Amino acid sequence: MAIAPPADGGVRHLARHQVRRRLGSLARSEGAGGAALFIAPALLALLLFRVMPAVYTALASLETPTGLGLENYRYMVTSGFFLQSVQTTLIFSLIVNPLQVVLALGLAVLFQGRFPGVGFTRTMVFLPTAVPLAVASIVWGVAFRPDSVVNALLVSLGLGPQPFLTSPEQALLSIVVLLSWVGVGYWMMFLIAGLHDIPEVYYEAAAVDGAGPVRCFFSITLPLLRRPLAFVTVAATVANFVIFAPVQILTDGGPQGATNLVMYEAYQRAYAFADLPLASAEVLALLVVMIVVVGVQFRLLRSET
Amino acid sequence: MSTPNRRSGIRRAGRITLGVAAALLFGLPVLWIVVSALRPPREIFEFLAPLTPRVLIPETLTLRSFSVLLSGTFPRALVNSLVVAVLTVAGGLLLCSTAAFGLSAVRFRHREAVFAVVVISFMIPFEAIAIPLSQLFRDWGLQNSYAGLVLPGVANGLAIFLLRQFFLGIPSELKDAARVDGAGLWTIFTRIYLPLSKPPLIGAGLILFMFSWREYLWPLLIISEPGMDVAPVALAKFVGQFQFDYGQLFAGALLVAAIPAVLLLRLQRYFRQSVASVAIKE
Repeated sequence: MAIAPPADGGVRHLARHQVRRRLGSLARSEGAGGAALFIAPALLALLLFRVMPAVYTALASLETPTGLGLENYRYMVTSGFFLQSVQTTLIFSLIVNPLQVVLALGLAVLFQGRFPGVGFTRTMVFLPTAVPLAVASIVWGVAFRPDSVVNALLVSLGLGPQPFLTSPEQALLSIVVLLSWVGVGYWMMFLIAGLHDIPEVYYEAAAVDGAGPVRCFFSITLPLLRRPLAFVTVAATVANFVIFAPVQILTDGGPQGATNLVMYEAYQRAYAFADLPLASAEVLALLVVMIVVVGVQFRLLRSET
Repeated sequence: MSTPNRRSGIRRAGRITLGVAAALLFGLPVLWIVVSALRPPREIFEFLAPLTPRVLIPETLTLRSFSVLLSGTFPRALVNSLVVAVLTVAGGLLLCSTAAFGLSAVRFRHREAVFAVVVISFMIPFEAIAIPLSQLFRDWGLQNSYAGLVLPGVANGLAIFLLRQFFLGIPSELKDAARVDGAGLWTIFTRIYLPLSKPPLIGAGLILFMFSWREYLWPLLIISEPGMDVAPVALAKFVGQFQFDYGQLFAGALLVAAIPAVLLLRLQRYFRQSVASVAIKE
């Protein structure tokens, strides 16, 4: 039985003013107290798994051999390794995010059109999304070996074999390739959803006016897709900022620091070099950046336009 | 044939060409994994110089790589991954749906602010706080345990957002009528809201499963006993060994990828609905 009727036989037999009075008192009683019980587990998780580690890392970052101080931060921004890692991460972000978003947009627009096999080809692009990044890294690591399939393909196309992960110039780009193989299909789904939301009449009206596909894309699709595009851009930025598995599995940050992204740098600082205070300072810096970017992402989720 | 017709024919051919190219670009690596897992291991690096189609067309199919892999320690890692994922989905659905209900069906002051703090906190990539959190988990004695693997994943910002979005769309008349009949919030939640919310619950469950299944940094940080390794970590350790069998590697990769792939393809409808409710603001 879903809801037991009260003894008086339920709403139907109550006078209107009685109903209103009941609702009024309920509205008052259902304040923060009732909600608190439902939100309590999430707030507890928030406290234990988010606030406490943030405070912990903030405190740990202040630990110096001579007591509490900002020595770790001073060292962090003056010694080369952290800044180099930040620089690598920024260059990486400037390559991987535009690439993934543009490819996802292009594919979403392509699959918006009707052609035989559209469902199958879309599923093919979407399929790698299911592959966990660690597994994709392992498999692409094999593919990128000098004697493996990628080079075999390049040679058969008349191009020379490439060093990929063993070269400081190509290692980061190789990681971008495998990340995009996994990521593009995922972002594409958000943009396809956004495209579905654009009323067909706009395109029909444009067709009547004689507008071609290029004109339609820039005058209808792009402006009306602004919100999902902004969301995908920020979400990709967030996800790609903390990339760890491919670096740890394939390159150990090398060759010559070329793939030493900040997440791996902090991990190495904490474990390989056992310098927890310095690692904590790096984690806190990362955390501050993340809070700002996720704040923007949340605003995009909520904004009315 | 008129010009517009011919032009649309060209456009169609262009679309098909691009579609096939995209399918090959994304699909061929998948096919290569499947084929490499199913052919005799010594054939994996053959047919490369010069490259022939045989690289993707095996002469003989064999399950030997799977049987060797599954006779070792790998099944244990797969089971660990499954246990952790199932517990994460169960715990996560409970926590996220109650939070979403408290933040949507009940009116109270500063509700929007609390919602913003909860969702932003849980949308910050977990990796960003994983290192200090692993120190705390060690202090709390949660290393090398399922609890340690499951707990950080149960609160998921996207899942809370998704469920709340759906709950907000449930007419408040339903709730008000139930309240007049004397139902408490818990009854309203379990008897009215949850039964109406199957699609977003499946969508949120999928998000929680995917999050848990692909975890790599976190298990690396808090698991040191090999018997507690999850599948992606076990596979990566396998590569770290001096000599390893590529057949087993591909068989393992295929297994670890196939489980979420099957789920995602079967539940695609719910995944699309969740994506739409995030991407579109009505």
